Amino acid sequence: MARSSIYSGLIVTGMLGLLIFSIIYFPEHYLMISFLFIGLTLIPFLLRFEMRKITGKELVLLAMLSAVAAVSRVPFAAFPSIQPTTFVIIVSALVLGAESGFMIGAMAALVSNLFLGQGPWTPWQMYSWGLIGFLAGILRNTWFMKHLWGKALFGLITGFAFGWIMNLWFIIGFLGEITFSSVFAYYATSFYFDLAHAVSNVFFILVFSSGWIKILQRFKRKYGLLAT
Amino acid sequence: MEILKLKNLSFSYPERDDEVLQQISFDVKKGEFLVLGGPSGCGKSTLIKLVKHDIAPAGRRKGGIIFNGKRIEDLPAEELAGEIGMVFQDPDNQIVMEEVLQELAFGLENLGYSTDYIRKRVAEMVQFFGLENLLARKTHELSGGQKQLVNLASVLLLNPKLLLLDEPTSQLDPVAAKEFITMVKRINEEFGVTILMVEHRLEELTAVADRMMLLNGGQIAYDGSPREVFFNVWDRRDEIFSAYVPSIPSLSLHLNENPEVKEIPLSVKEGRMWLSGINGFSAEQQPLPEAVNVRKVLSCDSVCFRYERKGENVLSDLNIDIYSNEIFAIVGGNGSGKSTMLKTMAGLINPQRGTIRFKNQKLKKIPKQEFHLSVAYLPQNPKLFFLHDTLEEEWSRAIERTNDENGNEKMNRITEMLGISHLAEHHPYDLSGGELQKAALACLLVSDPEVLLIDEPTKGMDPLSKQKFGELLTDLHFDGHTIVMVTHDIEFAAEYATRCMMLFNGQVASVSDPRSFFAGNTFYTTSINRLVRGSNLQEVITVKEALASWRVQASIQV
Amino acid sequence: MLMSFLHPFYLIAAVLLLISLTLLQGLVEQLRNRAKSFFFLTLFIVAVNPLVNHRGTHILFYFRENPVTLEALMNGFLMALSLLAILILFISYNFVLTPGRFLYLFSKILPQTALLAMLTLRFVPLLIRRLDEIKIVQKSKGMTITEGRVKDRAKNGVSLVQILLTWSLEEALQTADSMKSRGYGVTKRSSYERYTFTKNDIISIVLLLVLFAGCLIGLFNGYGNLTLYPDLESTSMGGAEWSVFVLFLLYIGFPLLVEGREQFRWRYLN
Repeated sequence: MARSSIYSGLIVTGMLGLLIFSIIYFPEHYLMISFLFIGLTLIPFLLRFEMRKITGKELVLLAMLSAVAAVSRVPFAAFPSIQPTTFVIIVSALVLGAESGFMIGAMAALVSNLFLGQGPWTPWQMYSWGLIGFLAGILRNTWFMKHLWGKALFGLITGFAFGWIMNLWFIIGFLGEITFSSVFAYYATSFYFDLAHAVSNVFFILVFSSGWIKILQRFKRKYGLLAT
Repeated sequence: MEILKLKNLSFSYPERDDEVLQQISFDVKKGEFLVLGGPSGCGKSTLIKLVKHDIAPAGRRKGGIIFNGKRIEDLPAEELAGEIGMVFQDPDNQIVMEEVLQELAFGLENLGYSTDYIRKRVAEMVQFFGLENLLARKTHELSGGQKQLVNLASVLLLNPKLLLLDEPTSQLDPVAAKEFITMVKRINEEFGVTILMVEHRLEELTAVADRMMLLNGGQIAYDGSPREVFFNVWDRRDEIFSAYVPSIPSLSLHLNENPEVKEIPLSVKEGRMWLSGINGFSAEQQPLPEAVNVRKVLSCDSVCFRYERKGENVLSDLNIDIYSNEIFAIVGGNGSGKSTMLKTMAGLINPQRGTIRFKNQKLKKIPKQEFHLSVAYLPQNPKLFFLHDTLEEEWSRAIERTNDENGNEKMNRITEMLGISHLAEHHPYDLSGGELQKAALACLLVSDPEVLLIDEPTKGMDPLSKQKFGELLTDLHFDGHTIVMVTHDIEFAAEYATRCMMLFNGQVASVSDPRSFFAGNTFYTTSINRLVRGSNLQEVITVKEALASWRVQASIQV
Repeated sequence: MLMSFLHPFYLIAAVLLLISLTLLQGLVEQLRNRAKSFFFLTLFIVAVNPLVNHRGTHILFYFRENPVTLEALMNGFLMALSLLAILILFISYNFVLTPGRFLYLFSKILPQTALLAMLTLRFVPLLIRRLDEIKIVQKSKGMTITEGRVKDRAKNGVSLVQILLTWSLEEALQTADSMKSRGYGVTKRSSYERYTFTKNDIISIVLLLVLFAGCLIGLFNGYGNLTLYPDLESTSMGGAEWSVFVLFLLYIGFPLLVEGREQFRWRYLN
């Protein structure tokens, strides 16, 4: 588990390097390359998931957590930038680990888009939320994530990072020229949305994370998943 | 020839010493329809889960389970999944797929059957169940009864020899429950599938079951044909199980001096034949208790409600007054708007038109917190009520809401009265349904509410708990709480309510005291009332009333 | 395709063809609902491009001392058209590829992931209904998300989700039992659906592949892509360019032809 997680982490970072490299050297095909990139990073995770023999219980648990993450936006319909989906994904990953965290993030994105209508942003959202879950899972045993402030900081950073990755598909695809000023201008417009997302992540983590972790650990035992 | 043999079966859950099942032995014959009953916690659900070995709970098991001559643990996984089918209690939880067709095919796909075979089987089964119109529907759009039929069909597709059912009708309304039981009976008769069904509602099952078994404390208390079981319960003057005997056999057992097993009537038809054979009851109408000092507490005035702007009215021009010191029962079919009515009265959803008044004050003018404390709402599923990890914390939050200095003492008294004070440290989800309901009730009672609104309190309850809950309601009523409840359970309403109302199509169809209410109904009434209708006896609606107002004067003519 | 052919004629034609496709599929309502947001999005891209991008030689005017070039304007215009085409395509895509069909395609390649997605998809409406029930019950305890300070509302909102989580995970244990008792995990799953291609499907795929390859060859030979920098190329098209354009039209218009033939048959041959 630990080793395979490191491999997957290496693959993701490697792919990210490849993305930057190819954007610099083949600037005309950013979009093609970026889609290729998303595809190639999603596929190893999905294949790994396919290879594992998964019990009905684990499958149901993952599905339920993904559905809760997706549905958790509903009570916040009035505030589009405040939604606990990221929080639910982080907490689930902290309890269930990197691979489950990735699947929950990706599934939550896929399913909410299946309901709201898909667009070119679907894979990007799967990627961003999946990555947040993956990272939270990888880091869960570090001293940093053992502290509440560490988790809160993680929520803050990922709140911004999520918005930035989501901006990326738009910028790469449709703003054409990637110059410092164009990117900066675009990110400035989304700053308040990203800030709200990041701050709400921190707030939810500070108030709810320890309670939620306890709940999820109780169910981890009930679903017979203590071994992983 | 027996299909299932249990030999000295004992079981205990991990980290617990007490045995949920103790040395249980019995055989089930091929093609038998066996009903298993007993109070909650008697081990009946554990028993059938042990038989369905692939979902057996973790714990220590002693003794053997033999299925078709083989030990259950030696059965290959495919055979076990296919030959023993299981339908669970909650219609929603068992559904895995989004569309009905996918759900039906799910089991066959799991077992790796060929596409041709799957298609053929599904086609057959859909026709047998008449599910053609539901095939393309989303599973979440179906009614509870339809969901449960789909669940039954999807289990049956695997061609089981033994069908296990764990309280399959407890979440259904009476009409859907009857339909479901009829289908199970057809499966039993037309395919010879052996049925082992755990159920509380014995009334509907007496006519279809070949054999009935009642468990208590992990042991078999009664075993035999329904008539034999009822006779033995009566014969032993068993207090726990007397509530399990349906009203018609119960009445005949109480009235006959020397009842004989084979003459115990089970249905209205048999009951009428038995009644016509006896004469000489002198009847004496019990006067209704007189109402003293009543005032209007809650009233609906031309209330209209709909869920969607363009949707149909769920409540249309509803007018009703509720008086202090009432146990007011709202009955009506599925989708008649009963629960909606209760929620509007609780101030939880706002009607589009009309006004609700609490003690002659418009609801809108009363501060919300204050209103919720005086008109408390107990939901159908008390699980939704709990947010915290322990009951204690939940109770202390409830005390905080009342701003009452003596809240702690009051809460202690209430939990003591309800018999749940020892559960304070428990997680709400570790409690039984009945305990959970009482724990939620405690949160409500601490503010000493004038009105208690209760949604479907007896759903899924075993007869004994139901009887206890009814007595609790009577006590609360006696303490001065006005009680309004919504129920599907006609027998329960007839026994404990002081006034009944039928809601139909969002309007009041009729309202009066239970006796004249049910006496005026032809179909929507208790079985005792249907039994005596048209006879020359004083019309009654419950066994209790019959025993109180009839007096047997002559002996029974055989 | 839509993102590579950055040429005004190609993209305008694509947008028109895709609009006709959505109209033919009876998606007028969906198109109308999104028209406004589409319009502003395209306007935004057209406007932002020249402001942040100053490459090119044809300077139209100066905005706050920065040159606004024709090339950048054209670039914004092309990008906007390309996005518009993709968004319209997705309207049609969402109509044709319902979640069920999407997962059906998925389940051939990634069966376990598809099953996970199906389960999740099945849970979502159930959870929405449960959340409604929870909201009502908790309202009677004074917990509300419709009034009060944002902080309290956010807190109450997550508390509702917390009840949903605990309750649903508890209930879902029965879902797992129900899967297991119907043999989940016993052997390799088969399928009710037949994954077979008809002759028509194969012909269509071959045709599309040929068209696609033709377009690609055109693209690599420098057709169908307007060179913007350093100097704006003329939009006029030569002989070979026209043939690539026709291939492109056939490719983008293929679903329109199929849909149109269906509707024609339905209307006149029935």
